[in-house]
Amino acid sequence: MELEEMQAVWSQMSDQIEKQKKITDKMIMMMTQEQYRKKLNKIAYPEIIGAVICYSVAIIILFNLEKLDNWYTLLSGLISVVTLLILPILSLKWISKMRNINISGNSYKETLIEYTKGKKRFKKTMKLGYYLGFVLMFMIIPVSSKLINGKDFFAETKSIWPMVISIPLAIVFFFIFTRWVYKSYITSMNSAEVLIKELEEQD
Amino acid sequence: MAKEYEFTQIIKDHEGIIFKITTIYTNNQEDQKDLYQEIVYQLWKSFDNFRGDSKISTWMYRVGLNTAITKLKKEKRKINQIGIDQVIMKQIDQYDTEFEERLKILYLHINSLNELEKGLILLLLEGKKYEEIASITGLSPSNVGTRISRIKQKLKTQIVKK
Repeated sequence: MELEEMQAVWSQMSDQIEKQKKITDKMIMMMTQEQYRKKLNKIAYPEIIGAVICYSVAIIILFNLEKLDNWYTLLSGLISVVTLLILPILSLKWISKMRNINISGNSYKETLIEYTKGKKRFKKTMKLGYYLGFVLMFMIIPVSSKLINGKDFFAETKSIWPMVISIPLAIVFFFIFTRWVYKSYITSMNSAEVLIKELEEQD
Repeated sequence: MAKEYEFTQIIKDHEGIIFKITTIYTNNQEDQKDLYQEIVYQLWKSFDNFRGDSKISTWMYRVGLNTAITKLKKEKRKINQIGIDQVIMKQIDQYDTEFEERLKILYLHINSLNELEKGLILLLLEGKKYEEIASITGLSPSNVGTRISRIKQKLKTQIVKK
């Protein structure tokens, strides 16, 4: 379809839309109310729920630090707490930054640059989050074993076989996982880079 | 009350602008409805600051386009032909089959463009002059011209491929 034909179709559609005015005063004023925006805010729900879970676990660990009575479980506990505190801050910071884009003041170009740069930062954060999450997965095992069952995971595990099997499996999983993260990261970074470069080109 | 009255009149007079922005940036009815509401909300929020320095339509396009790219593109949505059909059909139910087909092709072409190009093609299809497109997008008029030529080229390449 050539541009001229697109324009003709568009104009025909516009005429039809003009004939079919559907919106009422009441509908418009309802849309200006904050509570009608709930649906859009669902985008942030996974991050908010994730943050609540992370902080709850971090608080539980902090309140039970004295139960982590040897250096390695204490170290695992502290690393877990730091990871659980950092991860949500990173993604919530991005959401708040995106929400603060000046929609009425910015031009389309400025918004696109701000948004695409923000998305780039978010992807970097996600990449870091995946890796930190993987570290957390291991760190949390001795901590939860101690806090839930009161057992020292390393000293009281009778058989080494579970570890012999699980560690290589985890390494293989981590290898596949990082490759997948890297691949999706590179693809989205490239398209973001192209758009920013294009937008920042000298007029 | 006067403010509310003025605002509702503006929205009613220009509801086509909001509708057309939402058809370009969403692929299903639910997202389209959400985006429509969000644009009206953002327009209401910035209504006090709109002093009439620019045309009402310019202000509406700017707020609408900015809202569209920041609010609904948290995750890239796949182009969904059925979705586009539904969006168009829901609003306008008097099209003949041949026109529907052409409209579908039009939206498929638009969906193949990137975010910047989508905004430009929308304004171009709306019959805006390069100067007005420039004032909405923040690009210079000459840059608008260059980019529109590239879009035309891209559209031609698509035709050749098909």
